Amino acid sequence: MKVRPRPAWLGLLPSLLVLAVFGLYPFVEVVRFSTWDWSGLSAPVPVGLANYRELLADPAFWHSLRVTLAFAAITLPSFLALSLLVAFALEGQRYERWVKGLLFLPGLVTLSAAAVSWYTLLSPEYGALQTLLYALVPEDSPLAAWLVVPAWDREPLWALLLVVAFTLWRYLGYGVLVVSASLKSIPRALLEAAWVDGATPRQAVRYVTLPLLRPAVTFLLVVGTILTLQSYVAVFLLTRGGPFGGTRVLGYFIYEVGFEQYRLGYAAAATIVLLLLTLVLAWAQARFMEER
Amino acid sequence: MSRALRHLFVVLLVFVVALPFLWMAYAAFLPPELVYAGEITRLGFSLDNFRALAPEGFWGRLGYSLGVSGLATLLALLTGFPAAYALREGAPLLGLYLFLLAVPAEMLLVPLYGVLAGTHLLGSPWALVWPFAASPFVVFLLFQGLRNVPWQVVEAARIDGAGEGVVLVRVLLPMMMPHLVTAGVLSFAAHWNLVLYPRVMTSETWWTLQVWMADLVRKYPSDWGLLSAAALLGTLPLALVYLLFERKIVETFEGSLKG
Repeated sequence: MKVRPRPAWLGLLPSLLVLAVFGLYPFVEVVRFSTWDWSGLSAPVPVGLANYRELLADPAFWHSLRVTLAFAAITLPSFLALSLLVAFALEGQRYERWVKGLLFLPGLVTLSAAAVSWYTLLSPEYGALQTLLYALVPEDSPLAAWLVVPAWDREPLWALLLVVAFTLWRYLGYGVLVVSASLKSIPRALLEAAWVDGATPRQAVRYVTLPLLRPAVTFLLVVGTILTLQSYVAVFLLTRGGPFGGTRVLGYFIYEVGFEQYRLGYAAAATIVLLLLTLVLAWAQARFMEER
Repeated sequence: MSRALRHLFVVLLVFVVALPFLWMAYAAFLPPELVYAGEITRLGFSLDNFRALAPEGFWGRLGYSLGVSGLATLLALLTGFPAAYALREGAPLLGLYLFLLAVPAEMLLVPLYGVLAGTHLLGSPWALVWPFAASPFVVFLLFQGLRNVPWQVVEAARIDGAGEGVVLVRVLLPMMMPHLVTAGVLSFAAHWNLVLYPRVMTSETWWTLQVWMADLVRKYPSDWGLLSAAALLGTLPLALVYLLFERKIVETFEGSLKG
């Protein structure tokens, strides 16, 4: 069926104009930039594929790629599991709406303010949480050895976990809403039918609810992949890529190369790699979820 | 999950999620001498931290940030509403918007830098406005809202001789208020929370509150009271707007995820 254009379609023009210039055109530009040796101020020098060759030989790039994948591998499963768990725990409770409202708040509050709060609260040794713990439990008691805030300023893994926790804190509200919206759209009759057929509540969840949540989980997985692979603002605010590059995810690598070392051509090449990686992984996951 | 365990889980969750907020509000009122002595568990009350904000230029940044984020949001709603209407009327471009939804501006930092340099926006506050004057997210959310509007209403208005503009403003606008508010608050928050983008694209004079605050942490890493006061006041405008419309926002957003 062919759709005839209607006058209402004119409404797209202003929006499309802006998006073409600042949303689509950059995709063309980034490909062009990636073949340049360019500091942003100097005149660009075309260098062909040299940036890509250098990138593939750059140990910092490979390290950063591993960090990105590790970050996604920790963040995504915990994000999905927590979203499901919380949505189930809240379903039908009197405090449901109230808690959801609260969970949503971290994603909206001033990002750098949230980072300030996390930083002062969780600083190792002198942070507020550690001070409080030592005030409650004497420093020399055996219990105190277990109540130490990990030294994420020195240990890369803990630093990465801190960034993961911050990311989960900010986006859990969205995840819960997605699962919850899907839970509420499950017709009650289906569950009642399962009960009538003698299913225990646990079986009903396993065989009726969870399969029906599949589209929501797929949506979260795909969107979550895209966002985790591309998120690096938390890294900038909390760890600046350190310690020892342990949290230098690809997005932050691009920022550093482009706007601290002023190698925009090189950063453009890295941007393309990251965009391709995102595209491939998101697509693969969507396919994987469809097939199962 | 047994019932008690379930409640315990929720209580724990609420505590962990709320802790950074509680600490922020507590630390903002700590007397500076207690912070420096490391005696943050001793009770004290002082407004010194808030007084110290003015010389650092806090209030100017706050006003400026509210202004640019507000302007960008207003433009995004103005371009987004007719665009969503066009999509609802069958314009075959929904895929394009969904694609752009997946690519945040901070990802395109490098090419946008080039585009902005080419359009002479680089370094000026307009670099924070024009690229955000159209938002795929706003369009998507409003489109989802329009899908729930019974379209006979629009057709009836057309039969009565209403043009597209009248349909949009007189018929649909009142019905879409919850969605417009939700899209507005969420896209305001997204813009407000840009950190690296304004840092790179504008000169220091035009840095937003976010960038300014990230810089403040570098300048006074151990002055927790001052930092917390800035964090608290910088969070309040958005938190208040959110709390005012919280019910609408959560419900509308959840509803738009269903379809």
